[in-house]
Amino acid sequence: CCGLGMWRMSSLLSFSILFLACLAGFSSRLFAVIRFESIIHEFDPWFNYRSTHHLTTNGFYEFLNWFDERAWYPLGRIVGGTVYPGLMVTAGLIHYMLNLLHITVHIRDVCVFLAPVFSGLTAISTFLLTRELWNQGAGLLAACFIAIVPGYISRSVAGSFDNEGIAIFALQFTYYLWVKSVKTGSVFWAIGCCLSYFYMVSAWGGYVFIINLIPLHVFVLMLMQRYSRRVYIAYSTFYIVGLVLSMQIPFVGFQPIRTSEHMAAAGVFALLQAYAFLQYLKDRLTRQEFQTLFLLGVSLAAGVVFLTVIYLTYTGLYAKIHIPIIASVSEHQPTTWVSFFFDLHILVCTFPAGLWFCIKNVNDERVFVALYAISAVYFAGVMVRLMLTLTPVVCMLSAVAFSSVFEHYMGDDTKREKPPQEKAEEGLGPNVKSIVTMLMLMLLMMFAVHCTWVTSNAYSSPSVVLASYNHDGTRNILDDFREAYYWLRQNTDEHARVMSWWDYGYQIAGMANRTTLVDNNTWNNSHIALVGKAMSSNESAAYEIMRSLDVDYVLIIFGGVIGYSGDDINKFLWMVRIAEGEHPKDIRESDYFTPQGEFRVDKAGSPTLLNCLMYKMSYYRFGEMQLDFRTPPGFDRTRNAEIGNKDIKFKHLEEAFTSEHWLVRIYKVKSLDNREPLDHKLRSVVPRQKYTSKKVTGLLYVCT
Amino acid sequence: MASVWAKSLSNLPVLSVFVLLLICLPPGGGQKKKENMLSEKVEQMMEWSSRRSVVRMNGDKFRRFVKAPPRNYSVIVMFTALQPQRQCSVCRQANEEYQVLANSWRYSSAFSNKLFFTVVDYDEGADVFQQLNMNSAPTFMHFPAKGKPKRADTFDLQRIGFASEQLAKWIADRTDVQIRVFRPPNYSGTIALALLVSLVGGLLYLRRNNLEFIYNKTGWAMAALCVVFAMTSGQMWNHIRGPPYAHKNPQNGQVSYIHGSSQAQFVAESHIILLLNAAITMGMVLLNEAATSKGDVGKRRIICLVGLGLVVFFFSFLLSIFRSKYHGYPYSFLIK
Repeated sequence: CCGLGMWRMSSLLSFSILFLACLAGFSSRLFAVIRFESIIHEFDPWFNYRSTHHLTTNGFYEFLNWFDERAWYPLGRIVGGTVYPGLMVTAGLIHYMLNLLHITVHIRDVCVFLAPVFSGLTAISTFLLTRELWNQGAGLLAACFIAIVPGYISRSVAGSFDNEGIAIFALQFTYYLWVKSVKTGSVFWAIGCCLSYFYMVSAWGGYVFIINLIPLHVFVLMLMQRYSRRVYIAYSTFYIVGLVLSMQIPFVGFQPIRTSEHMAAAGVFALLQAYAFLQYLKDRLTRQEFQTLFLLGVSLAAGVVFLTVIYLTYTGLYAKIHIPIIASVSEHQPTTWVSFFFDLHILVCTFPAGLWFCIKNVNDERVFVALYAISAVYFAGVMVRLMLTLTPVVCMLSAVAFSSVFEHYMGDDTKREKPPQEKAEEGLGPNVKSIVTMLMLMLLMMFAVHCTWVTSNAYSSPSVVLASYNHDGTRNILDDFREAYYWLRQNTDEHARVMSWWDYGYQIAGMANRTTLVDNNTWNNSHIALVGKAMSSNESAAYEIMRSLDVDYVLIIFGGVIGYSGDDINKFLWMVRIAEGEHPKDIRESDYFTPQGEFRVDKAGSPTLLNCLMYKMSYYRFGEMQLDFRTPPGFDRTRNAEIGNKDIKFKHLEEAFTSEHWLVRIYKVKSLDNREPLDHKLRSVVPRQKYTSKKVTGLLYVCT
Repeated sequence: MASVWAKSLSNLPVLSVFVLLLICLPPGGGQKKKENMLSEKVEQMMEWSSRRSVVRMNGDKFRRFVKAPPRNYSVIVMFTALQPQRQCSVCRQANEEYQVLANSWRYSSAFSNKLFFTVVDYDEGADVFQQLNMNSAPTFMHFPAKGKPKRADTFDLQRIGFASEQLAKWIADRTDVQIRVFRPPNYSGTIALALLVSLVGGLLYLRRNNLEFIYNKTGWAMAALCVVFAMTSGQMWNHIRGPPYAHKNPQNGQVSYIHGSSQAQFVAESHIILLLNAAITMGMVLLNEAATSKGDVGKRRIICLVGLGLVVFFFSFLLSIFRSKYHGYPYSFLIK
């Protein structure tokens, strides 16, 4: 009776802790919604939102067959076959269900709040996984950690409608089901694992991490002679069903049987079958010595193959980092210790202790978490954005470390019932225990405060709407982006083609609903290089390119008035570099530097820079503008310099729109004049009297 | 060039002899001699560069083969200071890249007498440095077959770096000679790996009757923690970016081990962080150890307090370092 009551109490407590963790996770992701409004953030989410919108208005099959003629003009893009559809389908399904129940919400609100809702699910699946690995208490701590840890919040605030938001849930849930199926050896759990894996494949390219980690786990288990029928059943089921399911996603297609990053899974599958067969033979035969030698040989050979495949895969990955267009994205940089500490705080220092405990008390599933930790920490070190895959395992292992400390140091009711002499023998004394507990709780409190501060200050800016603060703390909203996109939507032809740098492609398509030349899906480098070439050439050369690409409007971002540092002049060198990669004869990076090797926009800047299209469009009429009395007219606040070319005139372009703070400027590309005007003065012929009749015919002859 | 003229003008007797010689020689002989001289020079250069892909030059050779006019070949010159007492580590790295490039040219099918790679060391040709008003090494210059070197004939080392590929691009730009850089494959990594594998294999074979140590969990746990500490302290960043070990202020000689910005770090700094992380982890393990081990209560109490001290003190220290790097971070604990 009493035990049942205890069990009920503890499950009620677990339930409420989990519920509160989900709630805390959900609400700490709402900073942006409360400060600004329910709006889609940044760049990629705008594409996801646009395709979700297409899905909900036109249906699923129309979405799969969608050819988007508004992107990559004149090439277009096959969207259905080049996206991971999981995110759009999830949002569309939720929208459909809600509307079925007559809760009429706009699809935008579903998209905005999808990631916070899924963070709650992530907390639950992390709880389940950690409970399988260690115990209930560690599970609850892990759920609390992952609900608020900045490393995960960075990708899942309300409004950041991106693949990662749902993929981390799918990742953790797949791992939970995998551990469960290895523990039980039942086909039921293995099939569940496959379905979850299928969801992961449909949601994010990071599924490759799963399809390498699970085979690695099986391989290491075999090396440790922990092979069992449970492992055999779990992996064989997972590999076959998971392979077939993953190939159903159009974007993945036949990759799982073709590309090198999937070969490790196939190799381990073959190895497992061979191993199982030999085990079967071993039961029948008696020559033990021969058998073990044979086993060793086979496993060594397979191991070598496996390692080569891994090596080839990851050296390939490493090489990819050095392509300029990839190097220009700040997410693909190695990670400093500051980023680790910023995103994980105390967890980054304590999770090795959890790893230590797991390895010291090893079993099948703890082997898994150790491999997970080591591989994820390696990839997070190589690339900042992979911090995301490290975060869940850090939460789990830190929870293990903290929970084993709390288990021993918090006053435990069960111990009081024991006889007093036993307690006196082993107790550390209540004072020491309470000091340890207090200090540990204080560290965790600091963690919570840090998480809230980081979320509020670093990860909650929509970047579509900017805010600046006055000296008295009041806030100015700079809504230039939406102002400009709305202008485009209202004042230009429906089929107008807008040229801009690729960063703004998705936003123009999503908010202005106009055709773009290049966008954030950077699949065609030469097309991007062409746009870069147009931006970095002089006006007449650029006009040729723009004519050949049918450009009607050019949109640029200029931050010189308000001091916004992410503008196009600061990104300009990347445009030059990418253009130089494809057109080395026409564009040379060194032309844009001063002889001293500096990049300057003032009078000392290189003449090529001062006359290129991007410079002229950014600073057109800026020389007439005096921002305040201490600075000369034409003073650029972002680069703190007075511009070098104040007399800018256009021949083929005209200014069409400039937003309130000059953040966005749009130029119209004029169509060709009726006839080519002559550069020189027309020859004025003063006919002399006596040759009149002859000259006229002669002149006509010359003209034709 | 002008200074050379001025010198020879002041040396009037020599000039007059030269003029006399010119007059005395039969007409057309000058042209012929020039051609002879040119073919002689080309032959000499070819011979040198067939022996070594980068031709070493002193002041005289430089003036004769690179500066003096009858020339139909381009010369790339690296001005450098390779002597150990000069302590120029950049020169050594640049030299390696330069050798790779020169070898790629030397053993390529397109190898011809149109382009030569040479080097002038400061300790062998200081006069060349003075003559060219050069005060920094390494510097790469191109001397075209015709005319004087222009501004673009000096390689912009500061901005582009000295990778062979960049040098090859610059040469292609200046001389229209395309060089495909062929780096000799770096076998050292493979050899080291093979050595390691064979060592481990040999060890395993020698101790094949007693393989207990493979099942030693502490060893494996240690290895795993090493990987984790290396990564979380940013060793991969160091490996890719190659920052300096620490920064020494040239004015007052103060050495700073912590980089002031949150975007970068020094090698020393990452080592400090590694130690701090390890200390905190050890504290956590000790706390657990104190509670679970069976032994003298007093001893366990001490272990427990030491563990707690490690966690709390080193965490506050870590937090304060973070705070000094991440400007505007408001929180601290125990240590400001």
